[in-house]
Amino acid sequence: MIDDDNEPSIEERVSAFRGDDWEDEMRAVLDEGEYDTELGIQMARDARRLVAGELEEADFHERYHDAVVEEFGVDDRPLETSDESAASGHLPVAAETDEEELERREVLQKMGAAGAFVGLGAWATAENRDESASAEAAASDEDDPNRQWGMVIDLDKCDGCLSCVIACSQENQTSAGSNWMYVFTYEDDDQDGENFLVRTCQMCTNAPCEKVCPTTARHTRTEDGLVLTDYDVCIGCRYCQVACPYGVNYFQWGEPDVPGSEIDPHHAYDDRGRWVDSRPPKGVMGKCTMCPTRQDDPDRRGTTGCEDACSMDAIYFGDMNDPESDPNQYLETVREENPTDRETFANRPSDRVSTFRLLEELGTEPNVVFVGNEPGPNAKQVEGPVSYEEMGQVDRRKDVLDEETFAGGVFS
Amino acid sequence: MRSTSRRYHLVLACVLVAIGLFLAGWAYQLQHGLIVTGLADWGSSGGVTWGLYIGAFIWWVGIAHGGIILSAAVRLLGMDRYMPVARLAELLTLAGLSVAGLYIIIHMGRPDRMVTSILGNYHVTVHNSPLVWDVTVITLYFVMTATYLALTLRYDLVRLRDSLPDRFEPLYRLLTAGYTEREDPVVERMVWWLALAIIILAPLLLHGGVIPWLFALIPTMPGWFGSIQGPQFLTIALTSAISGVIILSFAFRAAYGWDHIISDDVFRGLTLWLGFFALLFLWLQLQQIVGGSFAAPLDQSAATSAKLSHPVYLIAIGMVGVSLAYIFAQAIRPSLFSKPRAVLASVTVLTATLLEKVFFVVEGLMYPTFSLYEATPGSYVPSLIEMGSVVGTVAIVVLFFMVVSKVIPVVELHAIEHLQERETAEDELEPPADAAEMEVGT
Repeated sequence: MIDDDNEPSIEERVSAFRGDDWEDEMRAVLDEGEYDTELGIQMARDARRLVAGELEEADFHERYHDAVVEEFGVDDRPLETSDESAASGHLPVAAETDEEELERREVLQKMGAAGAFVGLGAWATAENRDESASAEAAASDEDDPNRQWGMVIDLDKCDGCLSCVIACSQENQTSAGSNWMYVFTYEDDDQDGENFLVRTCQMCTNAPCEKVCPTTARHTRTEDGLVLTDYDVCIGCRYCQVACPYGVNYFQWGEPDVPGSEIDPHHAYDDRGRWVDSRPPKGVMGKCTMCPTRQDDPDRRGTTGCEDACSMDAIYFGDMNDPESDPNQYLETVREENPTDRETFANRPSDRVSTFRLLEELGTEPNVVFVGNEPGPNAKQVEGPVSYEEMGQVDRRKDVLDEETFAGGVFS
Repeated sequence: MRSTSRRYHLVLACVLVAIGLFLAGWAYQLQHGLIVTGLADWGSSGGVTWGLYIGAFIWWVGIAHGGIILSAAVRLLGMDRYMPVARLAELLTLAGLSVAGLYIIIHMGRPDRMVTSILGNYHVTVHNSPLVWDVTVITLYFVMTATYLALTLRYDLVRLRDSLPDRFEPLYRLLTAGYTEREDPVVERMVWWLALAIIILAPLLLHGGVIPWLFALIPTMPGWFGSIQGPQFLTIALTSAISGVIILSFAFRAAYGWDHIISDDVFRGLTLWLGFFALLFLWLQLQQIVGGSFAAPLDQSAATSAKLSHPVYLIAIGMVGVSLAYIFAQAIRPSLFSKPRAVLASVTVLTATLLEKVFFVVEGLMYPTFSLYEATPGSYVPSLIEMGSVVGTVAIVVLFFMVVSKVIPVVELHAIEHLQERETAEDELEPPADAAEMEVGT
């Protein structure tokens, strides 16, 4: 494994970089809102513990039920203990009526920026696991013919900690510098300070990489729209990498850092029995997959490694065709939080939220939507708040590859 | 054909050493992966994913165009002057296409899957992938040229059988199976139609279409994108092809003393054609530079200005320019012409087209539309293994000609007969048997 015992964990690395800053930032945001700052901070801390598995979800809700009702007037979070949930066979969330769901969304709206900031994303993530644990929910998931996995990534929330990058490389055991998840820090003409762009595979509906593939190795999984590479079919011509406008492909130029014997087959073969997940073998193309084996697993469906690792809750993975999915719900929430003053400006759009899809004008129909500013034509990548090297990662992969170039030193 | 000189053995030894080194390099690459090349991913990694292998692939397909140009000139346009070098050019097509195909295989990460992955999914991918069109058209071109050659060979082999070495008897019997003299006019018509089919296929689809489409259809690499690439690639192919034929003709004339078969006239004519195609090449380069510099979108401006400031591009264009200047000068003042100078111009042009093609591939990948990556434009220096592949493939083509010239007549008997008719007309009688002997080499 890449991870040896002496290496600090992602959390340790990130907190070393971030210190208590996240709390300060959060406090500032919460102070601006109309709700209780201390409650928000405390909930955020516990939400992080919840995601880390240190706290049961039911315990979390029990702890905050009264306070939330007092603050927001309503709380539809489940109050059953974890034992009771197990005994009842399915979780309350799965049995939610439309009415209850509406109420819940109302709470989300009321909690507004504060709620979103303190980790409702994490909350929702934990909830998703429970949701899909329900056999009923799983069955209905399977049947959805229009599913299109994708992401909403809130760039305003990203702080460039690179925990998603590390989590992805650890989860997929990619070789050094194969940054399937890549975070740009950039400066731009009309944007002050540090701006971020979180670059996954864009999971294009009209994927140029797939179109040019001479073998069908690069393909779209029909049941959920994931654009994947069949490692058993790919001939390594790299035309997909040439045709992808975003530069998300990373070829396996030499032997992978992690040998095949250490790859868990359950994390390599998807439900169709095709080898599409984890790092590719030598001579084959790899890229961000949005974790197909997780999507095949009812317990982990609707999650990705990067989303789990993002403590800023910038990443929302889910079905882009389902208005109720995490990403679409998040978009709706953010939009509702930032309404336009339509009484004064009747003809303006309903909200002030900037969203974009990367290079949408190319007609690739990407399934990743960004919240925040789009990098302009003169945007320039700069050193981030933490460097890839500090985080034990490699940014410029060519430096690693050059070491094995035959007599490369003769010319350089 | 039957006697082999010391010089032949010496060249053969050099060629085999070069091929051996190339194969050793390739074996090393197969063992360790493409990491032994100077290639890397474009994007955050700071490299380019296609480089010399793809550039050299395009170059060889371009050289392979020589066959059809010469055959078309002779069969379709009646330019009998080039008849003596037509078969050499056709053989160059087969050799060029073969090593171009070899480059596709060398370039792959998993060449062992070529058959299963490409053929197995052909019915699906042929609708989309320019790379599949490419393999299809190259295969078609190869088959058509090979058929053309096989048909025209029958006439010669039957008539020259007594002068040909006995050890290849089974091969000759196979190639001339079922021959009767009645087929001559039929075959003549068939090859005319074949030549017509190839002349339509080659410029429209091969180097004027499918090969440039590998690049011209990718909108996010502005250095590649655009419909000018079709004509541009075709001019590169034509210059490379004529250069290849000039060098080849010179080598055979020198080796076999064929001064009266491949006359100076042939070289003068080919050199002028080289000049004409070089002019077209430079003209289309100019179109791209002007279009990319005046008020182009940002991504295209960046690609164009990078091109104009790179020494490899300037050197390549300069080399074609100097060759063109010489050809222009010798056209005005014929005393400036000499065969070694024509060969030098050809070698210069061939070097320039190889440089330009590799640069084109690399530069396109270095200046993508999505240029936010700090590591982009990256860098690329071909490794020794990649460079060795060029020497190796040139050696393979040389070896091909050295072997083929010992097996089949590399000048069409028609050409010799044609020359004899002229000589007879000039009252210079020569016995036909001698001519045949000359024709297959000594």
